[in-house]
Amino acid sequence: MSYRSIVWVLALILLVPIAVFLIYAFAQGWFFPALWPERWDRALFLRQLADPQLRRAFGQSLVIATGVSGLALMLGYPAARVLELQAFRGRGLIYGLFFLPTVVPSVATGIGLNIVFLRLGLAGTLFGVMLVHLIPVLPYVVLTLGSSLARYDRNYELQAAVLGASPWFVFWRVSVPMLLPSLVVAGVLAFLISWSQYVLSLLIGGGQIITLPMLLFSAASGGNQSLIASLSLIFIAPLLLLLGLVARYLGSPATGATPRP
Amino acid sequence: MSYLQIEQLTKSYAKQTILQNINLNLNQGEFLALLGPSGSGKSTILKLLAGIEAPDAGEIRLAGHLLNPVAAHQREIVLLFQQPYLFPFLSVAENIGFGLKARKVAKKLIAQKVAELLDLIELSGMEQRKPQQLSGGQQQRIALARALAVQPKVLLLDEPLSSLDPEIRGSLQGVIARLHRELQMTTIIVTHDLSEALALAERTALLINGSLVADLPSIELFERPPNRAAAQFVGVGAIIAGHMHGTTFDSKLGQFNGNFGPNTFHVAIRPEHIQINNSALQPSIAAQIIERRYLGERWEYRLQAAEQLIVVREAGQAPRDIGQTVDLHFPPQQLFALAD
Repeated sequence: MSYRSIVWVLALILLVPIAVFLIYAFAQGWFFPALWPERWDRALFLRQLADPQLRRAFGQSLVIATGVSGLALMLGYPAARVLELQAFRGRGLIYGLFFLPTVVPSVATGIGLNIVFLRLGLAGTLFGVMLVHLIPVLPYVVLTLGSSLARYDRNYELQAAVLGASPWFVFWRVSVPMLLPSLVVAGVLAFLISWSQYVLSLLIGGGQIITLPMLLFSAASGGNQSLIASLSLIFIAPLLLLLGLVARYLGSPATGATPRP
Repeated sequence: MSYLQIEQLTKSYAKQTILQNINLNLNQGEFLALLGPSGSGKSTILKLLAGIEAPDAGEIRLAGHLLNPVAAHQREIVLLFQQPYLFPFLSVAENIGFGLKARKVAKKLIAQKVAELLDLIELSGMEQRKPQQLSGGQQQRIALARALAVQPKVLLLDEPLSSLDPEIRGSLQGVIARLHRELQMTTIIVTHDLSEALALAERTALLINGSLVADLPSIELFERPPNRAAAQFVGVGAIIAGHMHGTTFDSKLGQFNGNFGPNTFHVAIRPEHIQINNSALQPSIAAQIIERRYLGERWEYRLQAAEQLIVVREAGQAPRDIGQTVDLHFPPQQLFALAD
């Protein structure tokens, strides 16, 4: 099978569910023997969009995922830098520890942390939910940044320093542009993972913080297919928008090189 | 007092000594070559001077001020690496102006300075190009302009020409020499190439295994290396072992008269100063030609006499045959003593 046909098959696998959501979200009076819905109606979808509870959940999810991306980059960048650019004893072990959250079930960490967060007064707060999202998010951020730092030539930074650039200037004017593609990819990954968190948000949010996946989950157990489909569309829309915006960085592997304009 | 003073500089990595008690002084505007084989520690000296690495011991002073505690970006010493390291996300003009922007110089002034420097390195009109669109030689010239833009107090060049084609290397040597003449910037160039040191620097310091073995005017280092290590690096016709007997030097090759000190155990001569089959001169030493190669303008012969290897370079002439035995003559005024 040629490369091109593989791409088409993959695209189809990814696009078909979205098409199904679209059909279910806008179909009206679609009963068994009919091959096609009787009529199309935007009313349910628009009602969903106008629902204050959904708007609130959408906003909170957005704030959480954006905050988690920012926090994950702020914590993940220095971690990846030290792990990739410095040689020290126990480096492999620490790298391994960073990946532990990907194997430990989040229910286990969530329940344990729930008690700790209650004591710290972080349970039921937006910040608490952001912090707990960092657990599944950080490994991917460190891995993404680490793999591009492994091929990163620090001499660009040293060259900038001897030319008179302060460490802050070097960071913003050299390191960030050099590593931009992988910073973008890591940030997007962090956003995606945080956006679709359910268990951890539920355990730490304690019913005070309602995110989009929670609404989706309760709708899914309700069984109203039109409702599930419109909520799903609302759920994936920002992700598609985000991926579209950063598409030019996703194509180039995280080499630390900037894409040509 | 010297402008740049390096005292007792010592550095080691993982218990391996890279530099040992280096002392060097430079006057303002001087051009010094730091010569040595790879791994001799010459690049490390530049890194310590630029402040991107810290010495284990020793002091660096610039115009009397101790530099050790000063951060790299505040030293006003610019190091140019072997690779140009132009920032790929910036245009040529932005690259040259980088150091000025870091110093918060006004945009208008930066543009003016960039145009001036592009003119100086003869690359005017390239402002908006990206580094990837330039040849290796052009990139290195832009890197040089970027370093000069901040008017460093000392310019350090770490084999900036070694990755370029010989032809471009020659023309860039010319550019560097001209810029030094015009700007009179205190400069140190690191090189493993003796001819580069001779072409560019009035003074050469020779570094071998982390120690300074010579620090002399470049021509003198070439013509009269002061000790065995230096003689081996720059290449001589023969290093002859022996001892002094009164005012003559006794060796397996015979006796030599010359102006040698009482504790001379080695003497040397340059390969182009040894003469072949000149019957007018005495004494002569019989030697057999074991190898020859043409260097262009000169033939180089390797000969053997009394288990001693001798290299002779002779101008012009039809080549002499391998296996042939010839008479060698060492003019006494060309022999010089080597310290150990």
